[in-house]
Amino acid sequence: MYVKGLAAFAAAVGVGLLSGAAIAQEVKQEKQSVLGNANVPPVTQEQLNAADKNAKDFLLTNGNYAQTRFYPGKQINRDNVKNLHVAWIFQTDVKESLETSPIVVDGVMYVTTSFSHVYALDAKTGQQLWHYAHKMGPITVYCCGPNNRGVQVLGDRVYLATLDSKLMALNAKTGEVVWTTNIADPELGYSETMAPTVVKDKVLIGTNGGEYGIRGFVRAYDAKTGKQLWNFNTIPENSVGVWATKDATGRDMHRNIQAEKDMLAKIGDPYAKLGGGVWQNPSVDLATNRIYFVVGNPSPDLDGSNRPGDNLYTNSLVSLDLDTGKYVCHFQYIAHDVWDLDAVSPTVLVNVKDKDGKTIPGVIHAGKTGHIYVHDRKDCSLIRFSEAMVPQENMWVLPTKEGARMLPGANGGVEWSPIATDPGQELAYAINLHQPMTYHVESSAYPNGKLWLGGAFKVIPSEKQSGNITAVNYNTGKIKWQVKTPEPMIGGILATAGGLVFTGEGNGKFAAYNSSSGKELWSFRAGAGVNAPPSSYMIGGKQYVVVGAGGNTQLDYKRGNNIIAFTLD
Amino acid sequence: MFGKLMMCGAALLLMVAEARAETIEEKVQVCTGCHGENGKPVDKTIPTIWGQQAGYLYIQLRDFKRGDRKSEIMQPIAAQFERDDMLAIAEYFSQKPWPDLGQPRAPKDVAAKALSASASVGCPACHLDRFQGDGTVPRLAGMGRDYLAKTIADFRTRARGNNPGMSDLMIATSPDDLAALVDYLAGL
Repeated sequence: MYVKGLAAFAAAVGVGLLSGAAIAQEVKQEKQSVLGNANVPPVTQEQLNAADKNAKDFLLTNGNYAQTRFYPGKQINRDNVKNLHVAWIFQTDVKESLETSPIVVDGVMYVTTSFSHVYALDAKTGQQLWHYAHKMGPITVYCCGPNNRGVQVLGDRVYLATLDSKLMALNAKTGEVVWTTNIADPELGYSETMAPTVVKDKVLIGTNGGEYGIRGFVRAYDAKTGKQLWNFNTIPENSVGVWATKDATGRDMHRNIQAEKDMLAKIGDPYAKLGGGVWQNPSVDLATNRIYFVVGNPSPDLDGSNRPGDNLYTNSLVSLDLDTGKYVCHFQYIAHDVWDLDAVSPTVLVNVKDKDGKTIPGVIHAGKTGHIYVHDRKDCSLIRFSEAMVPQENMWVLPTKEGARMLPGANGGVEWSPIATDPGQELAYAINLHQPMTYHVESSAYPNGKLWLGGAFKVIPSEKQSGNITAVNYNTGKIKWQVKTPEPMIGGILATAGGLVFTGEGNGKFAAYNSSSGKELWSFRAGAGVNAPPSSYMIGGKQYVVVGAGGNTQLDYKRGNNIIAFTLD
Repeated sequence: MFGKLMMCGAALLLMVAEARAETIEEKVQVCTGCHGENGKPVDKTIPTIWGQQAGYLYIQLRDFKRGDRKSEIMQPIAAQFERDDMLAIAEYFSQKPWPDLGQPRAPKDVAAKALSASASVGCPACHLDRFQGDGTVPRLAGMGRDYLAKTIADFRTRARGNNPGMSDLMIATSPDDLAALVDYLAGL
């Protein structure tokens, strides 16, 4: 997954009025950790297992292990959401891209910011309880902003993965460091932006680095000690695959299979530097003890000439055994991708109808292609794919030196943004991007951990960009409703039992929509891009909705440093 | 200009030949001949290293030593340093204040052109808001105009070969747009 920018012309020109020295001072200011006392009881595995039924807390990044982002409380609903107002605003010390998913444990909220800071807040008042300011190593290598998407708590520990590729356990009460483990070498292009998923005393983590020629992985670490328990390479030593010529939807990808076979004979399997980052959390199927996640693009992004084969398991859904990390099944959406239209939005476990109309355990994923893919959880096989949520044109034209226009652009129809689902309505809610781009190819050798794109993706400045909020029936593949937004959307979405979906835009708008019709019912202007997934929780009999408003590096949306909680009167 | 460069080069060669420096202040003495006593480089084609990102400075020293980045002046200097020296030197300069080179702000039309080009290939995705850089990505805001122009030209020809991703992005951007970017970044 890589990034493209949008013009933030007014903001940037305004910035130009500041003196260089003033900017330098602001950026170099060191932030110190502040220890504190968060009065929070230990989180048990049983609590985490039942997170989907718990309206008091928001225990996991995507709500629960199935990652439905469906909040079961309904105090805030279609009738009264118009009365929603700000309960509190907390300003973090870091004014940079905010992608955090707030989690809430018994009245204590944990949020993160860019550069891997963690805050514990009183979820009722927004008062800071403690602040962990990560002392970043000098070497950080990342493609898409210094982001952090959140933390998880198990027992009395908060688990964090940092931009300089460390895994850490903090004391949930005080913010003190309990242990630190080096995940991988940032000098080779590895970094961490995702929240860990912690289950059964295992801390599950993937890695970024698909733009730097890494070899991707998902790992489990011992939650008590930080010791590595198992490693799954997302790129197997035999990455060649079946020489697929069509994508998951049956469209020809214009591969030159003979040329690839010739190259394979010449250089061998390219697995060692083939990328395959994992950007987002796995779903955990507690009944079968399996995890499901998606793997990102091959390295280099646009130049396939030196990576013959299907480049397994890039651009794929993968399932593993939770205890051992052993492979169970996979499904590849795009073999030998040269467009970076990879798989990044987190998987969701829901029951789905199979091709015969029988209800079975399913797993769904919103692809950068703009389709929602529906799979059989048993063997990862594809049951159906939805109508395209964004315009698709000229797929799959091969990148050229001069640049070939194709839609979607390289940020895709759905980025890393998590989707939400409402199983009662059989709907999945996704936020979309429409960014016309040209795809350019250039060839260069592996650059030792440096940016390795194999070309460029260019936004076409003269073409209009936009976004959508889309509700898709995952049992039919049909779009139920769609709301157009003026700018491409990135961040995330939350569905609630109150019949609502909440999501934000780069222009600072944060709004609630009727989850059955898409009708806008309430909105708020945050003053900075709302490009983070919302969460919801209850304290003292009152429901709150919380979201980060800090803008976004990837799309260059206006930066801020606000965590904003809303409630009813 | 050529004369000044020659002098700075000659001073360096002299210092390289001297006995190994011990303290960080001794180690960085060699740098001031070209990069300036007060952080202002002695020549416009030499980059500002005061206030630059530590990760970036380290990676450049490492690449000079490895030969991944070519420079007759910098390669012999970097060759004498071990990794820890490089990290210490990088940290030392990153803590210095960024010097104001007094370069003029780009006119509005040039700034608009630059920002459009920047948005098209996504410069802020790595160089961040206000082109301040972070980690191994350099600050570009207020960097010397001539150095920016030369570096971009070198990326385009791959004469600067230690970041092919940057070469790809510069090749995909028109020379016109890049000229506007140089003026814009220098004037920030």
